[in-house]
Amino acid sequence: MDAWVRFSAQSQARERLCRAAQYACSLLGHALQRHGASPELQKQIRQLEGHLSLGRKLLRLGNSADALESAKRAVHLSDVVLRFCITVSHLNRALYFACDNVLWAGKSGLAPRVDQEKWAQRSFRYYLFSLIMNLSRDAYEIRLLMEQESSACSRRLKGSGGGVPGGIETGGLGGPGTPGGGLPQLALKLRLRVLLLARVLRGHPPLLLDVVRNACDLFIPLDKLGLWRCGPGIVGLCGLVSSILSILTLICPWLRLKP
Amino acid sequence: MDAFTRFTNQTQGRDRLFRATQYTCMLLRYLLEPKAGKEKVVMKLKKLESSVSTGRKWFRLGNVVHAVQATEQSIHATDLVPRLCLTLANLNRVIYFICDTILWVRSVGLASGINKEKWRTWAARHYYYSLLLSLGRDLYEISLQMERVAHSRAKREKSSPQDPLEYSVADEETEWLQSFLLLLFQALKQHPPLLLDTVKNFCDILNPLDQLGIYKSNPGIIGLGGLVSSIAGMITVAYPQMKLKTP
Repeated sequence: MDAWVRFSAQSQARERLCRAAQYACSLLGHALQRHGASPELQKQIRQLEGHLSLGRKLLRLGNSADALESAKRAVHLSDVVLRFCITVSHLNRALYFACDNVLWAGKSGLAPRVDQEKWAQRSFRYYLFSLIMNLSRDAYEIRLLMEQESSACSRRLKGSGGGVPGGIETGGLGGPGTPGGGLPQLALKLRLRVLLLARVLRGHPPLLLDVVRNACDLFIPLDKLGLWRCGPGIVGLCGLVSSILSILTLICPWLRLKP
Repeated sequence: MDAFTRFTNQTQGRDRLFRATQYTCMLLRYLLEPKAGKEKVVMKLKKLESSVSTGRKWFRLGNVVHAVQATEQSIHATDLVPRLCLTLANLNRVIYFICDTILWVRSVGLASGINKEKWRTWAARHYYYSLLLSLGRDLYEISLQMERVAHSRAKREKSSPQDPLEYSVADEETEWLQSFLLLLFQALKQHPPLLLDTVKNFCDILNPLDQLGIYKSNPGIIGLGGLVSSIAGMITVAYPQMKLKTP
């Protein structure tokens, strides 16, 4: 009980719970439609989803300031690439929340002349940019870690006397090898690279969580902007998975990726 | 901006801010409604008030657990009167949150067979009881504080003897009232959390008094009371040392 009290005392936690519920409703609605459930039940689920969506917009009303604060903090990072990616991502998030606030004003009747479609498209565009920046940052971190891991591996092999020829160094090009054995060598290199990636991600759960979360989130704006229509079922499932993962990072703060 | 972020990161901080907005809208509507030519503004205020009020329900979902935990904590209070008052107040809060959750279920359309009026009256009644008991506890603490201040003043007067004042019988009553008010003022000045809690509970009780028909006031007074109590609540969130603690 104490854990729930502490968890729900954070406003972000409540918003994530509402998000998980909203995408669960969307997934449930899609499943019910596929299996031909009663239209009344479908209407109820859709109504609940609408209430959740509007409620979340209200819960998010102060988040622009939060995103701007995070952007301000990120400007002081030492690594140039990280600094760029994280700052731009937070700035885009701030703009996304600002568009979301305008949508809330429109939906709640304060500014009835707001063009809902235009502002919704704008907000999803900013959301997409911020997710792309997050994924670039994740890719950069993965690449750094893979280089570290492969150089550590090669050092260990050299230290244990006699390296394996044509070795595990996946970072560099192959040696002046035989042109005839090109394709199997490429396949081997690819396989080793994938293994290294798996090893890096297994050893860094926060990074893995962040990659999966951003990848799942990516489907939502791609679908809403019409770039890649995946259907409400996939959008609901991806939204639910990413909400559960972000709730996990709130419950266990060590799972959060620190810049 | 950092302080604002830290404040709004807490659910209660955000909720109090929205509550203040909601009651400000109520107050402004009451003030602007009789004026001509302000219909659009009044309509917008009404829409803002209703959407904030609906949205705040999401902040209250799950607060049953908070109230149950508060009940468990108040059972361990040392003094008898606060223990009794707070435990009963928190129990009433639990029932209020249960009624509130049922009203929420009705408002999102999940269960249409719920009698909204009945549950709303129940919620208001139990909210009223919990505020009444909290005020009882506040009055008890104020009387304790006043005793303490009176004792310390008596001790100071004994150590520094003065000439006895001469006064007539007619002055005795006003003298008593004056010294009572002075004692009350000093007691509250030395104990700001108690003052804040008393003001908050007193302002909050105006709403259920109106809803239950015990003391009908107008939306302006309810709006002002709600605004003042929300500001008091925001102060206790921003400065946790201002929250009234139960020893």
